[in-house]
Amino acid sequence: MSYTLQFGQVWPHVPFLLAGALLSLQIAFLAFCGGLLIGTLGAAGKSFGGPTLRRGIDAYVVFFTNTPQLVQIYFLYFALPDAGILLSSYAAVLIGMTLNAGAYLTEIQRAGFESVRQTEMEAAETLGFSRAQQIRYVILPHVARVLFPPLSNQYILMTLGTSMAAIFGVEELTGRAFNLNSQTFRSIEVFSVTALLYIVITFFATAILAVMGRVLFRARMRII
Amino acid sequence: MLKTLISATVAAVVAVAGFAGTTVARPLEEIIKSGTLRVGVNPTLPPLAKFDEKNQIVGFDVDYATEIAKTLGVKLEVVQVGSPDRIPFVVSGKIDFVMGAMTRNPERAKVIDFTLPVHTEVFGILTTDAKPYKDWKELDNESVTLVQVRGTTPIKFIADNLPKAKVTQLDNYPDAVRALAQGRGDAMLDVVDFVGEHMNKHKDVKWKVLTEKPVDVYYCGLGVAKGSTGLKDWLNVAIFELARRGKTDAMWEKWFGIKMLYPTGVGPAF
Repeated sequence: MSYTLQFGQVWPHVPFLLAGALLSLQIAFLAFCGGLLIGTLGAAGKSFGGPTLRRGIDAYVVFFTNTPQLVQIYFLYFALPDAGILLSSYAAVLIGMTLNAGAYLTEIQRAGFESVRQTEMEAAETLGFSRAQQIRYVILPHVARVLFPPLSNQYILMTLGTSMAAIFGVEELTGRAFNLNSQTFRSIEVFSVTALLYIVITFFATAILAVMGRVLFRARMRII
Repeated sequence: MLKTLISATVAAVVAVAGFAGTTVARPLEEIIKSGTLRVGVNPTLPPLAKFDEKNQIVGFDVDYATEIAKTLGVKLEVVQVGSPDRIPFVVSGKIDFVMGAMTRNPERAKVIDFTLPVHTEVFGILTTDAKPYKDWKELDNESVTLVQVRGTTPIKFIADNLPKAKVTQLDNYPDAVRALAQGRGDAMLDVVDFVGEHMNKHKDVKWKVLTEKPVDVYYCGLGVAKGSTGLKDWLNVAIFELARRGKTDAMWEKWFGIKMLYPTGVGPAF
């Protein structure tokens, strides 16, 4: 292979890529928070709700976990306008990712809820804990410890998943890399720098989440 | 190994000699005598030319060349050419003329001769009736969002000439035109003729092309070898006749789905 690497053409654009990376983080964070809210409600509904509610939540989870996220966002972006709802690129991506995350997080949290054993609750009751105390001292610490690692994984996956926004004209990290590549044709250089930025982002996010998990929730997580 | 090398060298020399041996373009009478007109067509530029489902090259250029050959009373032989080799094909006389959006410009005209323009291409603004724009320069404004296709030449043009406009880049023409149709942007800057088939898919949208003040108009003729005056003069007459009888416009509408946006202005004198 007689390819000469020319990173010189890419370095001046690193701030441009970094600004894109910031947008990736923003989308991932907002979609995760929204997804967590949906997931908590969904999991609570599935664990404690009636059969109709449970079936409704099941349908939502099945739909969003069994279709590609790209198709879901395509639907929001290109099909909804025909029904009179025009979402901006950013809104379509954010809503799509939130709904998708909500479905996965419903399942993850339901598993967390179910990991609290009946005997634990009985023990708490025997010790005279009030309902509020049961939630505060028994359910939450247990659930948080079990749930934190899979939630962190989901967060990292979602950070990488924001790259889909590029297809809808959102200028996050991948979108900016696409644009840069189409102008410079330095594909190897552009995408290796982009990959490096993703690695840096996810590496730090993993480390921070692991520290949080161990300190706050005594979760079993390896730092680095 | 040595034997292979020698035979390869011989083959290369023969190829070069063969190439050098046919540098003379065929004059008009020789084309008529041979009964075949050889036309270079670039199938990477739909709808000017593309491969159909039977792997045959079809398109505006093929129809036009067929019409030219019919007028001359000979058979047509379509020769596939690419963007980098199409001019060498003409210069070496492997084809009698070349098509494929051959924009006439002084640089090319140093190497090959051009006939009258067959068609134009408008590098201009596609927008909708609801937008107030009259001139492409009005688009240099923060409130303007342009919808463009990633990796196309207008991107650089916009960065240089309309730096204030926002640009949404999508990956292909159907998506970009649909985004414009749905009101996700105000305008698109491109060679508008080639977007016709995508525009037609959104029938309820009132499209508007700013043809009074386009960014640029390209005049595309047929490219012939230098000095083949007899052939060129005959082609000019044929081009005028096809234009005058409305055949050019009909073929254009058949393949592009829209009328030619900018008239070639071909007249009886040349």
